[in-house]
Amino acid sequence: MTQRHSLRISCFVFLLLTSVQTAIMAQDQCLTCHEAIEDSHVALFKKDIHYAKGLSCADCHGGDASKEEMEAAMDAKAGFIGVPKGDRISATCAKCHSDAAVMVKRYESALPLDQMELLETSVHGKLSTSGREHIAQCTSCHGAHGIVTKMNRTSPVHPLNLPATCAKCHSNATFMRTYDPSLPIDQLEKYRTSVHGKRNKSGDPKAAECASCHESHEILSAKDIRSSVYPTNLPATCSKCHSDASYMKGYGIASDQHQQYAKSVHGKALLEKKDLGAPACNDCHGNHGAAPPGLESVSKVCGTCHALNAELFSSSPHKKAFDSRKLPECETCHGNHEIVAATDELLGVGEGAVCAWCHKENENIKGFAVARTMRSLADSLIAAENEAISLVSEAEQKGMEVGEAKFKLREIRQARLETRTKVHSFDLKQFQEVADRGLAAASTVTAEAGEAIDQYFFRRWGLLVASLIITILAVSLYVYIRRIEKEQAQS
Amino acid sequence: MKNKLLTIYRWIDERVELRDLIEFMGKKYVPVHEHSVWYYFGGVSLFLFIIQVVTGILLLFYYKGSEELAFESIQFIMSKVEFGWLIRSIHSWAANLFILAAIIHMFSVYFTKAYRKPREITWLTGMAMLFLGMGFGFSGYLLPWNELAFFATKVGTDIAGVVPLIGKPIMILLRGGEDVTGATLSRMFGFHVAIFPGLFVVFLGIHLLLVQRQGMSEPIGFENSPANQKTMPFFPNFLLRDLLLWLLVLNVIAILAVLFPWELGVKADPFASAPSGIKPEWYFMFMFQSLKYIPAQVFFVDGEVLGILLFGLAGLIWTLVPFWDRKSAAGQQNRLVNYVGLFVVLYMILFTIIGWLA
Repeated sequence: MTQRHSLRISCFVFLLLTSVQTAIMAQDQCLTCHEAIEDSHVALFKKDIHYAKGLSCADCHGGDASKEEMEAAMDAKAGFIGVPKGDRISATCAKCHSDAAVMVKRYESALPLDQMELLETSVHGKLSTSGREHIAQCTSCHGAHGIVTKMNRTSPVHPLNLPATCAKCHSNATFMRTYDPSLPIDQLEKYRTSVHGKRNKSGDPKAAECASCHESHEILSAKDIRSSVYPTNLPATCSKCHSDASYMKGYGIASDQHQQYAKSVHGKALLEKKDLGAPACNDCHGNHGAAPPGLESVSKVCGTCHALNAELFSSSPHKKAFDSRKLPECETCHGNHEIVAATDELLGVGEGAVCAWCHKENENIKGFAVARTMRSLADSLIAAENEAISLVSEAEQKGMEVGEAKFKLREIRQARLETRTKVHSFDLKQFQEVADRGLAAASTVTAEAGEAIDQYFFRRWGLLVASLIITILAVSLYVYIRRIEKEQAQS
Repeated sequence: MKNKLLTIYRWIDERVELRDLIEFMGKKYVPVHEHSVWYYFGGVSLFLFIIQVVTGILLLFYYKGSEELAFESIQFIMSKVEFGWLIRSIHSWAANLFILAAIIHMFSVYFTKAYRKPREITWLTGMAMLFLGMGFGFSGYLLPWNELAFFATKVGTDIAGVVPLIGKPIMILLRGGEDVTGATLSRMFGFHVAIFPGLFVVFLGIHLLLVQRQGMSEPIGFENSPANQKTMPFFPNFLLRDLLLWLLVLNVIAILAVLFPWELGVKADPFASAPSGIKPEWYFMFMFQSLKYIPAQVFFVDGEVLGILLFGLAGLIWTLVPFWDRKSAAGQQNRLVNYVGLFVVLYMILFTIIGWLA
């Protein structure tokens, strides 16, 4: 009985020891020891998504996590690298995150595999001031031991946390100066004043944050033509959200701005002609401090480029009239996103003329008369310019030298363009002064080109007469030669 | 009226003995044969040169030879000055016709062997005038300071610059510096209106004096066939025929100048890139085109250098024909000279056409 009992005890102890040894061997010895020494990273790591997926410390730091003895576990021969430094950090992450076999097959992850590649080609992939590593590593944004999914509220790259994460560097004047002293450091400050920033702060994760416009891993300089915030790409970037009716639902704003903008004079200049001088969304709304221009500030916004028009408008009687009726200044006549090229059709009192919206024949009579006269002058100037162009072209086709007249055509065009500016003074005297200058230039050019055409016909007639005289002379001479040679032969 | 003219004639005759000159001209005869027509090209060249001198002087009244004003002054001549357009157009057309007439005259002299003893100096002065005529063309081409002229001058002087040893100094001399600038324009203007005309008049004087002194050259064998030895008096017959041809040439120039006025183009911009289709004047075209066909390297010698040296050598041999064509000098037919001449004519025509079409 005792022997049998002893055998049972022995078997139990053996099994127990074997189980304990197996358990010890299966346990992450790194965690065991570092927890024992109260390493704060352990607590963080236990919340980390990598821990949840079964990764051990050794997967990043190297070494043998099954060894109980510190020397064996942290032996360089076992691949221990300690805390990865510099580019080794991102390389460690990329070991799995760029490997389809690991990410897709083992973890069935839908994360893109090109993050490392994109990071390396981004503006953050440039060399740091030390010249030994790239500017940003994965951990710069995602942290190291407490990494959670992007949509986890505690993640530094969660939409509500991202502005502060980026600002860690981008609002640090000392740090930023070493890379690009011309880059502003008040983006976060401005962002907080924007509609996007305010909504973000109030907890709306849908509101645009840094990565919404600048992208996440593939961030490029705004001067880079491939950048999502390069002027010609910016309207499309904004429209990712603003043209998505379902996304914008609930914000109470239209979603056809991009569609309208693309048809506008600004949109065509920027998107079709690639004219970088043309405004993109941010030029009117601001970029980091993006907000719709207020009623009073529309003319100031437009006036940043259309300075003369804005100045004339501000000192015109319309300024007061518009303000008192709470009419947005430029926008009332020209529209906002779909601003078409301003033609003379807008002026006057006929069909399509914006003046007639307020100035009727029996209401606001003075303005009605001024608009009608201005339009009449503008039409006369266009007709005079067309006639001058046509005559100069005809004279040129006839081979006449009309270089000077051609040069003067610019004066007419200049005056015509200037009248379009002077319209904004709504002062007939100022407008007429410029129109008269253009008409006078047109008259000079028309006269010069007309003279050149007359001269062309005069030359042909002159040639005919001269040629006739020379021919008569030649024939007479021939007859004379024949006569004297006949006389010589007879003698 | 007739008495008054007679009085004036006598007054001059008393002092300079005009009667001797008239007697000399009256005794002067021009051979009449199947190639007599070529004699007239010398006169046509002279007439065209006179037109150039007259129209050139008229243009000088308004032309301003500076980088800033040259183009504008010609624009002014063509649009504001009374008949300025006509004068400028005649000057340009007559310049080209002058070169053409001089080339025809030169080849006619060559093929009829009129260069043979005792007319070697007449030939040499004629060749000198032909080269000077080309120089007139090259220097005058730049004067409007337009885009085509600017770049053609650049290319032309570049080609001159590749000649070993003397090329670079010649290029700098022509350009007035390393590049084609306003200094080049001033220099070309100086060549065109002062140096070349001065030299030309000297050669022309000698040439005409010798033609008058020695008379027209007769073809080889002409003196051996007394039956065919027809002549005509130089005065008035030949001179009047010359005059008749001059009138016809004048008519042609008038038609060309009015119906095809010489274009001014656009002002030269030294900082602009060269426009496509830069071509030299047509009389340089065969050389320009030939240089394009020579490989970059020929037996360790730069192709362009070789080409220029070959053309220089060919020009020298051609100019010295009176001294190596011994057979013609002895009154014998020299077929080799004819074949060489024929080859040169065909070569020039062919390469000019290729260059024009390229």
